[in-house]
Parts: sequence; C-alpha cells; structure tokens
Amino acid sequence: MMIMYGLSGCSSVQPWEKQNLAKPEMTFEGDRLDTGYTEHIYSSKEASSGGAGVGGGGCGCN
Amino acid sequence: MEYVPIKSSNRKSRVVGALFASAAMLLPSAKNAMADAAPEQGIVSMKYLNYHDSQKGDTDLTAGMSKDRMTVNALSFMGMVPIAGKWSVAATFIEDSVTGASPAYHGSGFPANTSSGASGDLRHAGDLNVTRYFSRGTLTLGTSYSQESDYKSLGCSLNGTLSTESKNTTFSLGAAYNNDTIDLSRPNVVDSKKSDTPGKKRVVSGLFGVTQVMSQNDIMQMTVTLTDGDGYYSDPYKNPDVRPGKRRMFTFMSRWNHHFDGPNGTARLSYRYYTDTFGIKAHTFDAEYVQLLPKGWEITPSLRYYSQGAADFYVPVGDAEFADPTHFTPPPAGAKHYSEDQRLSAFGAFSYGIKVSKDLGRSWLADVKYEHCEQRYNWGINGKGDPGIPTFNMSAIQVGLSRKF
Amino acid sequence: MGGGCEILLAGLGKKDAKKLAAHGIKEVSRIEQKYSRYRPDSAVSRINASAGTDWCECDDETRALLDYSDALYRSSAGLFDVTSGVLRRAWNFDKAEVPSQEALLPLLKLVGWRRVERRESAVRLPEEGMQLDFGGIGKEYAADAAAEVLADHGALHGYVNLAGDIRIIGPKPDGEPWTIGIRDPRNSGGMIASIPVASGAIATSGDYERFFELEGRRYCHILNPVTGFPVTFWRSVSVLAPLATTAGSVTTITMLLEAEGLHYLKDSGFMFLAVDQAGKVHYNH
Repeated sequence: MMIMYGLSGCSSVQPWEKQNLAKPEMTFEGDRLDTGYTEHIYSSKEASSGGAGVGGGGCGCN
Repeated sequence: MEYVPIKSSNRKSRVVGALFASAAMLLPSAKNAMADAAPEQGIVSMKYLNYHDSQKGDTDLTAGMSKDRMTVNALSFMGMVPIAGKWSVAATFIEDSVTGASPAYHGSGFPANTSSGASGDLRHAGDLNVTRYFSRGTLTLGTSYSQESDYKSLGCSLNGTLSTESKNTTFSLGAAYNNDTIDLSRPNVVDSKKSDTPGKKRVVSGLFGVTQVMSQNDIMQMTVTLTDGDGYYSDPYKNPDVRPGKRRMFTFMSRWNHHFDGPNGTARLSYRYYTDTFGIKAHTFDAEYVQLLPKGWEITPSLRYYSQGAADFYVPVGDAEFADPTHFTPPPAGAKHYSEDQRLSAFGAFSYGIKVSKDLGRSWLADVKYEHCEQRYNWGINGKGDPGIPTFNMSAIQVGLSRKF
Repeated sequence: MGGGCEILLAGLGKKDAKKLAAHGIKEVSRIEQKYSRYRPDSAVSRINASAGTDWCECDDETRALLDYSDALYRSSAGLFDVTSGVLRRAWNFDKAEVPSQEALLPLLKLVGWRRVERRESAVRLPEEGMQLDFGGIGKEYAADAAAEVLADHGALHGYVNLAGDIRIIGPKPDGEPWTIGIRDPRNSGGMIASIPVASGAIATSGDYERFFELEGRRYCHILNPVTGFPVTFWRSVSVLAPLATTAGSVTTITMLLEAEGLHYLKDSGFMFLAVDQAGKVHYNH
C-alpha cells in the first residue's frame, strides 16, 4: 500500500489521456462466464481460492 | 436567451477579450458528463464448457495409477441490463453435469459406481447483482445460490467502490456471507460420516482493495481478502478424512495491466499469495497477453504457475500403501485431524491456454478458449511434495457467444 | 468558409442596408484571412511556419483566441484540440479511403494542445510539423464579431449566417422572431425542425458537411484527436446559446464526446436538438 501511494504521486493522468485505460482488456473485469468457469475449476482442484472478489457462490468442493 | 451586450467604447481589444471570456464562461464542463455511469449497453451471453481430468502414473512409484477421472459439461448464461443511467442489474445462471469420480484417498480408492463421485451429478448455480452508480463510486448488492444433489449454498454480498476526483485511484470494500448445507445421508458417503443431520458451514469474508492508474498505459490493483469459516470442512466421500471445524484464510492479490501502443496489445499479470489456518501457503502467477488483430479478431495466450504447500494434517502415501494401493495409509496415532486428499498435498502446477475471439459484427461476439494444466508433486516451491500422488492433468474447452444491445 | 454566407438586415432601405452590410462583410473577411491556414501571410500560418523553432508574438485578438482554445480543451476533457488539424492530411474526403495506422501514427504524434508553449503574448509550437487550426472556432467567432460590428454601426434587425452558424443582431422589425430551419442530416433539401429565435445564436455541427461512406459506414470530417478517426455517434447537433462562439463550441464538443455528449448537452442548460446515428431525435424545451 505504501509503495502505491509513493508511486501515485508521480503520475496524474488527465481524463483526456485515458483512452487506452478505458479499453476492456485494460480493466480488471474480464469475461464473467470465462472467469466463472476458470476460477471454479482451479479452486476445486487446489487448496487456495479467491483473491479478486467476494460474493460468488459457495463451492461444494470440500 | 439573453443577448450579452458589449460596450462600444474602446472597442477593438475589449470586444475581443470580452467576447471570448463570455463564450468561455458559458461552456459546460465535460467532466461532469464522465461521472461513474451505468454501461451504455446491455449484454447477453452464453458459454459452454467441456472439462476433463485424468491422472497419469508416469513414475516408478505411481506406475499403474493412470486413470481417466472426471468429465464435466456445463452451460452458463449471463445477462446485464443498464437501467436509467444510474443502475444496472446482472444475473448469471449455470448448469453443469459431472460424470466420473475422484479418488477416496491419494490417487486410489475410486468408488465402484463411477457415476456419482465427490462432486455430485447435476449442479445448478446462479447469482443476481444490482449496482447503483454514483458520481464517484458504485454500490453492488448481490445474492447467489448453488445447488447439487448433496450440497446447497446460499450467499449474499455487498461491494462498494469509491474513486478520487481524478478517478486515478479507486478504493474497494466488500463483504460476503455464505451459508452451506451438506447432505450426509447419501449412499456413497463414507460410513463413519453418514448422518441424517446435514453438515453446515458458515463463511464470512471481507475484502479491501486499491486500484491505481500508474500511467496512460498502466493500471495496477492490490487486494487483501480475509475469510473466516466455521462448520463442516471434511469431505464426506473421502476416507480417512477429518478436518478442523474452522478455517481462516488470508489472500493478497496484485494485478498489473500494461498496454503496448505499438502492437496495440495488452499484457495482464497477476500474483496471488494465499495462506490459511490449515497450514497451507500458496503462490499463483498468471500472465496473459491480449493482442488485437485486424477484422475484429483477438487472440490471448496465457500461462499460469501455481505452487502450494501441504496442509498441517495431510498424510502422505506410506510404505504399505506404495506396496498395496488398495489399503490407505493409516493416519498418525492420536492425530485429531487428518486427510489424504491430494488437493491438500504440496505440489506445483503449470498451465497454458489460448483464447481466440471474433467480433462478428452487429454487436455479436464469439470466443473459444482452450486451457490445459498439469500438477506434479515435485513442481512446487512450498515444501516437499508427496511422490505417491500421480501426475494430474486437466483440460478445458470453452465456447461462447455474446451480444450487446 | 465551407458554405453559403449571408448577412440579412431588415428595417432599412436597400442602399443603406448594402452600406451597413459592407462593414459586416469586411469584418468576416478580415477574420477569415487572419486565421486561414491556406494563406501564407496569415497570423496562423506564421505560427505554424515557426513550429519547432522560434516564439511568435501575438496580438490581443490571437491571444484571446488561444486562451479560448485552452478553455475548450479543458471543457471537453481534451477532445477539442486546436492542434488536431494535421490529422486531415490522412483523410481525403474525395477519395473515400480509410488511412492506415502507418499513415495516422506520425500525425497523431503531432497532436497535443498541452505541449503548445505560451508566454504572456507569445506562442510556440514545440515540434516541426505541428499546426494550429482554428477552423472549429473561426467561423462562429466571425459571426459574433460581424454581428457586433453591425450593431455598433446601428443595425437593429437581422442576423449573420455563416454556413449554418447564425448570430442574431435583433428580431424582425415588428418584434417577431426569425424562423431558423435545422437541416435534416440525411436529406439535403429537407428540414427536421424550425425554431423561432429572437436573439442570441444557433449553431449546428453534423456528419454531413464533409464525409465519405465506405462499406455502409460514414466517415465525417470531425476527428477524434486521440484515435485520429472520425466520430460516429451523432448525425447532427444544434444548440441555442447567447453567442455563436459558445453555441458552435458546444455542438462540436458534443460530436466529439459521442455517447457522453448527451449528458454534456443536458448539463449546459442550453436548448438543443440532436440526432443520433439511429436517427433518434433528442431535444429539450
């Protein structure tokens, strides 16, 4: 968190410079159904799970 | 409409300055127009998944353990509708059917009846989210459910974001509650765990994150998630398997997206650190590169490396089991918790994938994705793996179609 | 000027009207010549010729115009950029060809109002090839300036119409408003609305003034300074405001903002009529 605050002082991107940042591949959302499948697969075959968000369905993969 | 009068004395220079000054004063600001707003278009999409996994006995110690395991076919739908510029509603629905089975312990002990394994036959799940957009933030209320023959989960969540004036920094805060019910009365539940009283589990999780614009072509996000779970964590179909009744998890995730102007591509990198009270620590590294191509094509190759350590109570394959895989290794005498589930052992995994999508015109988009992952006991960096666990392979193909409106 | 120009004066005899109108015509010509990119001796050409080298001294009028350009840049979140004229070299509206990325990229590198250096009354374009283009402001400014010259010389009724950007001098001699027609963006002879205007100004920006169509897609002359490509969301935008300069700027910025333009129009508080690419008419009363 400290690192990010130090770095954020260096740049102040103006609204008119945000054309690339607005592109879908530059956001952190992504294809919901794709992420849904992928995260479900990995979390049912590995011990760890989550990280990007809270609030998805519970997993029956005890 | 008022006419702005200009005094005729000292005309030339005064008029010019005054005219432009008045004109400028009357200009509205586009900044207000670019407040956090609901998306302009709604979207409907569907995606089909075909998943298959298998284990391979390709070492001396695991020879003879090769076996196809599980196959899943799933279909999911998603719809998102913006409402009145300030709201949006999104819903997801998925149905998947599972055939095949998982081992009862380590890489052995597959049930004779292979059509009903640890994950149940048919699963339905869905979620509904309602988002309200404010000038500098959003608030999302969500509910979710998941239902299989032996398992039911209900959840609700609240997530909010708040941005600074420049929108270069966004804070997120989220909380979720999940309530799970596990049916312990079914025929293939291990005898010692059979019960008419279902197992229950309550999980609460909270998230705090910061998203920061670093440059015109760079954006970064860091998120910390804490989860506290209470209830039934053991696996009803695995034996021997008795797990703690509580599990607390900590996850730190950081992501970075970088856009390359020249080739018009974007690199997306992420790292996740995970640790929990089962004693497990894990690292996940993800990298993908999105490349836009002419005529609406887009290709995204991806790589993933994962490593996890073993749970404190994981029991590795012992000498007796190496000699005769039909008998599981007994847990250490007096151990309160124990499990021989390979998902709690130490291992590393490499995945590679490729996704191709095409804009079909008239707001239609089609995509295909293939991903393959291999887990090996000696590929991890979190401690010694269990050589008695065979190599595990999984692959998945997704085919999707979506339309904006 | 890209269209018919007329000065209409009412309530006085023909000879007097002609004499009076001459003042207005003189003012329009003066401004047109001073800020024309095509005349090598114009104030703008002098500044453009010195790009990458020396500072250029400006008079009060040019300085005010540069201040206004800055206000427009900030008001439009950077989309109204008077250095974006160079992009027109890549777009040939007679040939109906979409320029390649190789053709656009070097031109996009010359666009950027933030890099223009200004000092007191001097201005400098930091890189050779950069150009100032007041085409998006000049016409409306000329309409306002001419109307004011005419008013100063005693005109009471009439208007100045420069290719669709109109500044009213005063209502009809009987006090009634003038009826201004708004052109149908897809039917060159037709009108989509008639608006009574007694004072102030009305301006229109549209995708039909200079364009070509290729594979069912229209490429118009209003270019986004970041992508180098024409805007597509609106077919035409008309705005009523006290000054033609303001009205014209608001219509151009709305075209540049594309989808967000509707919020911008509503926030402005001005009366507007806009037609989107589906033909749907948006307006307020």
